[in-house]
Amino acid sequence: MQPDRANAALMETPSVLQVEGLHTQLGGQWLHKGIDFSIGRGEVVALIGGSGTGKSVLLRECIGLSRPTRGRVRLFGKDICELSRENLNQVRGRYGVLFQEGALFSSLSVAENVAAPLVEHTTLPLKLRNEVVAMKIRLAGLPMDACDKRPSELSGGMKKRAALARALALEPELLFLDEPTSGLDPISAREFDHLLRVLCDSLGLTALMATHDLDTLWGMVDRVIVLHGGKVIADGPVKEVAELDHEWIRAYFSAHSRSR
Amino acid sequence: MTGPAPSLDCVVTATGCVLKPRGCWSIDNLEQIDRLLGSTLVPHDIRVCIDASELSDLDSAGVMLVVNRLRAQGVVWSSLELVDFNTHQLDLIHLVAERLDARAQPRQRRRSLLPFLGRKAANWVAALVSQFVFFGRIVEGIVEVVRRPRLLRLREFTTQLEVVGLNALPIVMLMTFLIGVVFAFLLGIQVRKFGANIFIADGVSIAVARELAPLLTAILIAGRSGAAFTAQIGAMKVTEEIDAISTLGLSPVQVLVLPRLFAIIIAMPLLTFVGDVMGMVGASIVAYAQLDITYYTFFERVKSALSLETVVFGLAKSPVFAAAIALIACRNGFAVQRDARSVGEFTTSTVVQSLVAVILINALFAIAFPEIG
Repeated sequence: MQPDRANAALMETPSVLQVEGLHTQLGGQWLHKGIDFSIGRGEVVALIGGSGTGKSVLLRECIGLSRPTRGRVRLFGKDICELSRENLNQVRGRYGVLFQEGALFSSLSVAENVAAPLVEHTTLPLKLRNEVVAMKIRLAGLPMDACDKRPSELSGGMKKRAALARALALEPELLFLDEPTSGLDPISAREFDHLLRVLCDSLGLTALMATHDLDTLWGMVDRVIVLHGGKVIADGPVKEVAELDHEWIRAYFSAHSRSR
Repeated sequence: MTGPAPSLDCVVTATGCVLKPRGCWSIDNLEQIDRLLGSTLVPHDIRVCIDASELSDLDSAGVMLVVNRLRAQGVVWSSLELVDFNTHQLDLIHLVAERLDARAQPRQRRRSLLPFLGRKAANWVAALVSQFVFFGRIVEGIVEVVRRPRLLRLREFTTQLEVVGLNALPIVMLMTFLIGVVFAFLLGIQVRKFGANIFIADGVSIAVARELAPLLTAILIAGRSGAAFTAQIGAMKVTEEIDAISTLGLSPVQVLVLPRLFAIIIAMPLLTFVGDVMGMVGASIVAYAQLDITYYTFFERVKSALSLETVVFGLAKSPVFAAAIALIACRNGFAVQRDARSVGEFTTSTVVQSLVAVILINALFAIAFPEIG
């Protein structure tokens, strides 16, 4: 059912994110040797690959935090390498990022963290802004008494939720997530997956996540992109990818099937 | 991203009330939507229906506003009729309404004076206690090292000696030299008025040896090494390295604090002595240029004017300054919390506290030994 929805989304809408012939050289070595993929509106896509295959780097390049050595990254049809800073900031208002450790501003409370993008990018009056902040915090599944806490007083799962609330503050169309469930216990991780899926479906979000969590792959992802040896070696629904006859993919999926 | 401007029609008939939102109900138009909803009176005793046939865009902020404002007007959300929304929008509306439903009491932010004072006082007491605990640990560590000298980490100690002492040499030499020059220049103007040119040597040598060199060195070291100690130990605390040291069965005091404490206590008098010499060298150059006092005459005069007692007094102060700086810096380093802001805060307070401590200790010395010099 999920692949059908993914395919339908692919066909009816132009791609939100498009990566073409991307090469990256890091420390004298080629990390990416020609990566191509595109993500359509409403898709939830996972990026998998062994440690050191450049998932996080690829994610950073998609966000526009670092530049690929060669190739293009198109966000909403615009090549982000060629955008002026002003235009880039405009595009940045349209996507949210959830960093691995949350990257909450440690000097601000949770509510102030969520309000930060709103303060910078909108002209909402204080009362409305507080209302929006409270709603986002509730939407991310945090209790209201978390508002006034500092990030250092939160548990790992709550930090991720607060970071998600901040990423969603500006009603983004596209969400980037770097290992959203790492460091969470299995129960919290599944809860977080479910929350993400519900939010993605109801807010019409497109999501690209780098992940190691096989349960996330099986549970909530429309499509999987496998990065290996600097290239995309597989791209498709989880079920199809798991069946593929490739050494690394077989090892990856069998590492988990034993415990299933 | 601003679509067509939002508008709202409200048609009240005998059978019910139909709300017809139009345009783009999204976060960019939130203020307008708030005004629209505020100026529309929705009767809450009849059936209310929202017709989305002409709604072009809807996001969670828009839904939130509709939910909150209608609820505030007394409309029962569950009895609301939603017409012509697509499935995604319905999902979104239900999600937001459900989440806002479970909303706890609005948070309170009132702060009254008494709890504030109480919390401050409690923090102060806790800080004082932790101060004593820390000093206790240091004393314990020193006693252990004295009993078993093998425990002293020689490599760390020599590294710190190099960083704190040797690397600080150029800046200490430069500063004390310049202070000697300036002090001699200004003093020279005064002594010339009385024809007491040679007394420039007395004045400069006593001032430099007794006060200027020890104080200036201490201030430089407080800013240079004190801040570095706090930042290093604080950063180690943030990355849990200190916990790792404890888990390995080592004492963080032995590994981190004592080498720094000993290094700074040894380095500071040495630096101060170099400062004494440089200050007098600077003064002698000015004396020669300004007052035609030869170097030989100048240092002969210093020899007779400057008692050994004065020099030793200046050198004896500096280990006390050093210990104060090291203790304050290390304690603040351990007090760092696990976030980025706290490292900066504690580094700042290290510099401020150690400068205050140095000047206070200096005053105590001055009061206790007024007869020297």
